[in-house]
Amino acid sequence: MANDSGWLARFVDALPESKIFNLLANWILVPYWAWRYPTKKIEGGPRPSTQPSDNIQRMMNLVMKLKDTSPIGRAKAALVLAQHATEIFSGVDDVATVHFARFDIIGDYICMFSVYDGDFSNYIRDFICTIGSFFDGIVALVEDGEQVLPTQTHVEEFIDWVHARDLFQAPDFTTDLFALNDEARGLPPGKVHPLRTLSREFILQLRVNPNLSLGGGYRAYPGFTSAQIRQKTGMGW
Amino acid sequence: MDNQDILVDKLLKALIVPGCQPDLRPVHAIGIGLTGSFVASPLARDYCIAEHFRGDRTVDVTVRFSNGAGSAVEHDGWSDVRGMATRFHLADGAATDLIAMTLPAFFTPTPETFLDFLNVATPEPAKPESPWRKFLDLLQLMQPMPDPNPGETVTPIPGAIRYADTHARTQLPVALAAGIGAPVSYARATYEAVHAFRIIGPDGERRWVRFSWRPVAGVLNTDPTKTPVDKYLFQELHDRLAREPARFTLMMMIGEPGDDPTDSSRPWPPHRERVIMGDLTLDKIPEDQVMYCEKLSFNPWLLTDGIEPSDDPILHIRHEAYKTSSERRGGTPCPFARSAPNGK
Repeated sequence: MANDSGWLARFVDALPESKIFNLLANWILVPYWAWRYPTKKIEGGPRPSTQPSDNIQRMMNLVMKLKDTSPIGRAKAALVLAQHATEIFSGVDDVATVHFARFDIIGDYICMFSVYDGDFSNYIRDFICTIGSFFDGIVALVEDGEQVLPTQTHVEEFIDWVHARDLFQAPDFTTDLFALNDEARGLPPGKVHPLRTLSREFILQLRVNPNLSLGGGYRAYPGFTSAQIRQKTGMGW
Repeated sequence: MDNQDILVDKLLKALIVPGCQPDLRPVHAIGIGLTGSFVASPLARDYCIAEHFRGDRTVDVTVRFSNGAGSAVEHDGWSDVRGMATRFHLADGAATDLIAMTLPAFFTPTPETFLDFLNVATPEPAKPESPWRKFLDLLQLMQPMPDPNPGETVTPIPGAIRYADTHARTQLPVALAAGIGAPVSYARATYEAVHAFRIIGPDGERRWVRFSWRPVAGVLNTDPTKTPVDKYLFQELHDRLAREPARFTLMMMIGEPGDDPTDSSRPWPPHRERVIMGDLTLDKIPEDQVMYCEKLSFNPWLLTDGIEPSDDPILHIRHEAYKTSSERRGGTPCPFARSAPNGK
């Protein structure tokens, strides 16, 4: 909105967009408030819920940093995927709880984005059973991956390893972040924060957790499992 | 007066803001009425036996769009909640209403807390935060208070934020309301009927649901960096309807165990099962707006067989609040399809 107030007001209003203020904020203000209110990284993946539709069409946004981020290193990752394409498609069909799954190389990271039904641990166990050799090929190219290889004999470690690289999913309702940050800080529930500090809560969480998934995502057919969709559309399973 | 009447009286008095007129609604004072039709989707009858969902005929409708403020002066371009009250005209002169607004949650869960909220969110002189105060906000990584609109003399926003600072359940509605903006058209906003209702299917199955109107033209707000225009929404509708009807889709979200049907201050998560219940087409703006719009008395309790109210205390108080407000402004009484929640 046009501001017809004095020069000082206009100057302050323009500060959030100014490079110098943002530089100072990132160098001084954010570290100060992070020291004042230590904020821990919130766990990735969907949060536990007993409600039916919260346990189907769940998102996994797995972001894994490549050891070798050169074009050669990224090409190696792309080739592992290409070599295992048949195994992946066949395996995911067998898992049967997957709505979609895809792999992307974004900058220095190889990512797996998928939507699945049911429990996260069982989802990963199913993957190890069906496309474990593919995962071994990918994880070997990822930082800190060697500790969970081969995945077939490091099942629980691999589940934890994947969970640690699954993106934090920001709440559907933004003000819920207050409670999530407090929980991660180990504070008892129920504290009411000043509403306008919500922006600071986001900044502090994003400082320790640079990647996040925004909200629960759109669903064209919410409330239905992959198996129900296949059955209703006459595709079997 | 019994306790509920006293509470209704207090609520209606607390809603009065500078610029209110006794012959207008205390909130959503400025509005425009339209007429059109509703056609149920082929799926609707599988979920609800209500007459307008049977799909055996086109149902005539009257809709009133409104600005949320109680002031009689139009400020279309100000950031504000908008209303969409829909009356479905059923057979034999019966009717059922669906009251919706652009805010997806009510400010508080109970009438008593709403009165507390109104008493704190009393309009106060609108003045921008001082530059030094804003600077201090920025140093704390906080959003500065929004500047008042040009010409805005009083505002409830600082009080609403003060209340939300100490009441967790009001934080989401206030945060959403503070950034709600102004639609470029009444036909380009989503309207949520925030209360849950229990619908009855042809097999007798009862489901808790929430309804919302989705604009076929899509959602679009004005540019918040531009100086707001005071009057454009009525003319925009006239211009739009001269070209084409305004259309909405009625969506129904189905609640599941754990979704509270009695708390309208908390939306249900967006990934609940949704069903398209029908299409609304608005094609006429009656010339006599007083008769066909302003005198009309909508009421969220004007229900029909197949749709039942929840125990949401806000929904319950609205029955009396709407009735009393209608009487005070000389509105046309609405013929209730069922008796009042307290037996009146």
